[in-house]
Amino acid sequence: MTTVRDVITAAVLPAGAAFCLLGAVGLLRFPDVASRLHPAAKAQTLGLLLILLGTAVQMPLRHAPVLLLIAVFQMFTAPITSQIIGRTAYRTGALDRRLMFRDELADRLARDGTPVDGPDRPDDPHGPHGPPPEEADR
Amino acid sequence: MNVLYGTVLATVAAAGLLTLVRLVHGPRALDRILALDVLVTMVIAGTATGMLLRKDTTSLPVLVVLALLAFTGSVTAAHLIEKREGMR
Amino acid sequence: MTRRRHARSVMRHVPMIAWLWLLWVLLWGSASPVVLLGGLLVATVIVAGFALPPVLPGAVPRPLRIGRLLFHLLADLVRSGAVVAWQVVRHGRRTSAAIVEVPLRVDSDLLITAVAEITTMTPGTLVAEIDRGRRRLYVHALPVDDEQDLVRRKNAVQGVERRVTRAVGAGRRHRGGVTGRDPEGGRP
Repeated sequence: MTTVRDVITAAVLPAGAAFCLLGAVGLLRFPDVASRLHPAAKAQTLGLLLILLGTAVQMPLRHAPVLLLIAVFQMFTAPITSQIIGRTAYRTGALDRRLMFRDELADRLARDGTPVDGPDRPDDPHGPHGPPPEEADR
Repeated sequence: MNVLYGTVLATVAAAGLLTLVRLVHGPRALDRILALDVLVTMVIAGTATGMLLRKDTTSLPVLVVLALLAFTGSVTAAHLIEKREGMR
Repeated sequence: MTRRRHARSVMRHVPMIAWLWLLWVLLWGSASPVVLLGGLLVATVIVAGFALPPVLPGAVPRPLRIGRLLFHLLADLVRSGAVVAWQVVRHGRRTSAAIVEVPLRVDSDLLITAVAEITTMTPGTLVAEIDRGRRRLYVHALPVDDEQDLVRRKNAVQGVERRVTRAVGAGRRHRGGVTGRDPEGGRP
């Protein structure tokens, strides 16, 4: 029984640590907030879940539910956090629009008459309505 | 097994240091909030591994509290930023 | 209020009370009588004091399919962790992202939340903005290099939506006309 546990932990714990590390590298390497959210939300959550799993297997059984609770909580809150940070980043103009192939939200806002006044965004040749006039003089 | 735990702990710590670089570097407040959020998950991961290494479970409640705090903290901070920037 | 309606409104709160109770017992880590009784008391007081609106009118939860949805969610999380790790190593600074507009068919707060959550967990997509009134998600996708990628992302999110509706039902059906101010609202 102990060996089975040990094998699971030995497989899962290093994988979790690796995902944590890659998430951190992603946080460093990706160019803007929204891209950094991807490793933060996914690699990081996966890493933590794997580490919690590896820990839970080794623990006395009565502690497992608490770890499961943390895992579930993390899984449900990580998307919410990233959505709120992403939304705030968009609304405060923190996204680098030069990195974006297409921004359909900006197109939508332009059609509604409330264009975003973020950092400069190149003219979008594919956009159905072109860039809004307010953006031209930024 | 202790060697394994030690290696895992060291890897998580290295990841934490990298996140710390982002936290210090910014450049925006949102980057820092995100980095802090990630850092707390790494602290959770590290504490869990540390429990295995030290073979005691006293810090289990700490994990729960951290998980709760990280979420509410990040969300509140992001809201504050949105409000502040919106007022300009 | 007749007795039957009263009973029904009490029944509606039972799952929430049970969940809070379970949480309480788990967090205390023991099942002594004091913890059990206190938990039941606290849960009841909370549910009575902070009543929530019914979250999903007309939902038909199907446990088996919800289980499958959760399994899918875990599988997606593993896949997206791997994918994003690969992107970190491979692309790094030179990524090209896009914000994709995805019209949804579901029209309830809970379902849209569920779709948004699972979308964030699927590889390469992350919900950045939710337009509740028009039932749209604005999804930050990474990497997107051409039109085909855009369409693929959109289809992926709508696939998530299909899975969610299959698991809990679509709730109240939304017939067109209410959100008629948007002419492009319909799906192709």
